[in-house]
Amino acid sequence: MLQYTIKRLLLTIPTFLFISLLLFLVLNIAPGRPGAANSGQQGESTQQEQKESFRIFKEQFNLDKPILLNMRFNDTQEEVREWLVAAYNLEGNATAAERIAAQETLDDHGNYLVRHLLPLLADPDIEVRKVANNVLIPASQLRFVSERRGDIDAARKQNREISKRNQRVKGWVWDGDLSEAEQAALAAGWKDWYAENQADYTWTTTEKAEAFFFDTRFAKYWSNLVHLDFGISTADRRPVFETVLSKLKYSLSLTFISVILAYTIAVPIGVFSAIRQGTRLDSAVTVVLFVMYSLPTFFTGTVLLRLLTEGEPVSWFPTGNFQTMTSDPMTTWELLKDIVWHLVLPIATYTSVSLAALSRYARAGVIEVIRADYIRTARAKGLPEPVVILKHAVRNGMIPILTLLGGLLPSLVAGSVIIEVVFNIPGMGQYIYDAINLRDYNAVMAVLLTSSMLALLGILISDLSYAFVDPRISFD
Amino acid sequence: MTNPNQTAPAAEGAAPAEDPTYGDIVWGQFAKRKLAIGSLWGLISLLLLATYAPVLASNKPFLWHTASEGWSSPWLSSLFDRNFYENSVDIFFNVALVVFTPALLPLAWWWKKTASLKRRVRAHKRTRSIQATIALFVVVFSLVQAFPQQSPKTVYPDIETRLVEQGEDVTAVYPVLKYSFRKISLTEVRAPISLKHPLGTDNAGRDVLTRLLYGTRISLTVGVFAVALYVTFGTIIGAIAGFYGGRVDIAIQRVIEVVICIPSLFLILTVASFITERSIFHIMVIIAGVAWTSPARLVRAEFLRMRNLDFVSAARAIGQSELRIIFNEILPNALAPVLVAATFGVARAILIESSMSFLGLGDITVPSWGQILNTGRTTGIWTLILAPGFAIFLTVSLLNLVGEGVRDALDPKLRK
Repeated sequence: MLQYTIKRLLLTIPTFLFISLLLFLVLNIAPGRPGAANSGQQGESTQQEQKESFRIFKEQFNLDKPILLNMRFNDTQEEVREWLVAAYNLEGNATAAERIAAQETLDDHGNYLVRHLLPLLADPDIEVRKVANNVLIPASQLRFVSERRGDIDAARKQNREISKRNQRVKGWVWDGDLSEAEQAALAAGWKDWYAENQADYTWTTTEKAEAFFFDTRFAKYWSNLVHLDFGISTADRRPVFETVLSKLKYSLSLTFISVILAYTIAVPIGVFSAIRQGTRLDSAVTVVLFVMYSLPTFFTGTVLLRLLTEGEPVSWFPTGNFQTMTSDPMTTWELLKDIVWHLVLPIATYTSVSLAALSRYARAGVIEVIRADYIRTARAKGLPEPVVILKHAVRNGMIPILTLLGGLLPSLVAGSVIIEVVFNIPGMGQYIYDAINLRDYNAVMAVLLTSSMLALLGILISDLSYAFVDPRISFD
Repeated sequence: MTNPNQTAPAAEGAAPAEDPTYGDIVWGQFAKRKLAIGSLWGLISLLLLATYAPVLASNKPFLWHTASEGWSSPWLSSLFDRNFYENSVDIFFNVALVVFTPALLPLAWWWKKTASLKRRVRAHKRTRSIQATIALFVVVFSLVQAFPQQSPKTVYPDIETRLVEQGEDVTAVYPVLKYSFRKISLTEVRAPISLKHPLGTDNAGRDVLTRLLYGTRISLTVGVFAVALYVTFGTIIGAIAGFYGGRVDIAIQRVIEVVICIPSLFLILTVASFITERSIFHIMVIIAGVAWTSPARLVRAEFLRMRNLDFVSAARAIGQSELRIIFNEILPNALAPVLVAATFGVARAILIESSMSFLGLGDITVPSWGQILNTGRTTGIWTLILAPGFAIFLTVSLLNLVGEGVRDALDPKLRK
């Protein structure tokens, strides 16, 4: 048993890694970039500024890196020249889409371009020379190291160095027409600069291997993830994980209360209708449960909300939210009462579906067990009926219900999005819904990962409890 | 006793009763359950309602006559009009309407006539006729797709009123509800329930009943096609995992575990939001993308159980290829649990689609039930909440009841 537990616990690590990889790929391969949505709407004059801010934005969120594997050190000089020609339309035959794509490639490849751009400074075509010079400036910029973790002072010092070096080349712009001598001076400047800093723009085999795996979006994301850093929200620029944690309490309380409620109500109903199998009461309960099972939550929620909150016909409950938004201090008791008052409708809606499913399973489980020989034995040896039912039948009949919890959890976690949107509860579901609409990747990813982790834990616990409850199952 | 001159088929025909096939047994068990049979009829009526929606509700008259234009049938010509029906779902159903309606009587006659034939011949003939019908459908459907029509969008009831005001003599025969599911009419916003609008209108003046009718098409299509898609995919994956076992199985199992752990609605909503112009085909693929795990697990378990049985060994011994063994020998025996899961799966897919459009992440161009319900939630119009809610509830319950019937019919323990 212990061995099995340890094995299962260890297995969650690769599973979680896989989940993160899958989600990461889904989110990154998907079309539509964050930030792209709000660019290109203003006039021509701000276009350059926008481009620059979009570039910084991409750098900040590692969006300029390749997704999974980095092959950029394999760029060749011909390729780089082609991109230059396409991006600046030097041959006059590039379409708008090609130009934008090439421009983005140039922006993204950054440092990897430097070693191919330098020879292009001596290109026979003057236009290529000019463009290469101007692209070299952003391409040669080094990235700042993160000041959020580790030795902050050392990082600051290093960043000052980087800033100094980046500033040095900023002025070497080829603007308008330059004479031969001026051009030569520029090229010579670059040559000297490259001789000094060559190490940063060339890669040894080990460095290549490192870049291949680690200079990628996924690796950067994971290196942050192990520090529980899920990144910054692109919407409100706050750490996503903090927000998710603050939202978690709403969603978890909703889910937990409704799961506990569903189990405590469903099991007695199921048992009751199983021992009264075939009676009219049993059929009535079955029909009611079936109706509850087939009613979609968003429908039940909307109807309850419309019936009981807006004063037509009655206004017994608040229209939503988790608690009353007031600045008046409330005692714990008042706060509790307020929260319960707010949660009655969402929890009723949320519980109804799982309640119906669970009681149907409970009924089937008990019916299955009640025909077994050991129940007949228990009756034959003269045990009172309640003992037969509660001690012999129900205990064994409930085993399949326990495993259901594992399957129920992922859907319950996800189902909260509908409840939270309908009842306007500021939990994880509401958060991911807003984040999806704002294309806030880090937030979406964080919610998906935390909820997957929760579901993973739930499945683990339900599997373990299954093994614990049913002695016939042995994993050793 | 034996007559050496008698040929084999005649001997078969002389036998008083044929052994029932597995399909016959299951169907017999299913037919015993009145609730399941009733629900099946309910589903068939829903399908008919979906197919014949334009006959009940359309703003194009069946017949149109003015002094200057003469006789015409705008209804018929609008059936395949891309401007009128933006998506292929409507064209699909309209082709079914046009192809199957004239074929119904001959088909019924043919079905009756073949019923007296011997089973083998009957099955063969029926299979052929079903194939022919599907082929005809596909041909007409692709022809319609290949020749897009470009007719102007016209609202005939409006033209009629204008012409009548001008004193012209107009004859027009309309369907019962002379509305389009998407024509906005600002003069009839939030109309109450009346004879003219049996379920009132929404906040844009569109007739609710018309939208509901056309919404049936969307829900049924999404349900059936998404399930067909993921059952096919999941079955193949599960078959491979179960048949080959070993490392392949472990790898596939891990992938399935990963997909199961991700809360599916979150993932569905996230992926749906990336697609800028969502059509209901995208939604089907997205639903299929997260739901394929359940048939895969079922089929895998069946294959693991069966791959060492005698009939598989026999198939191997006579040198059948692995593909043949998987698809011709084992798969037909492994499909029973998949059938049950698929029936419940249609209900689930319909629920997911309505949830998506309820949250505004569905196809916004089609009158999906979830979208109507969402309008009801934001505007507070009762009919907009109750009507689609009831439609979803009805469809889902019918499917669940049929699913339970199928499950019980396939369960040998419950056979009497």
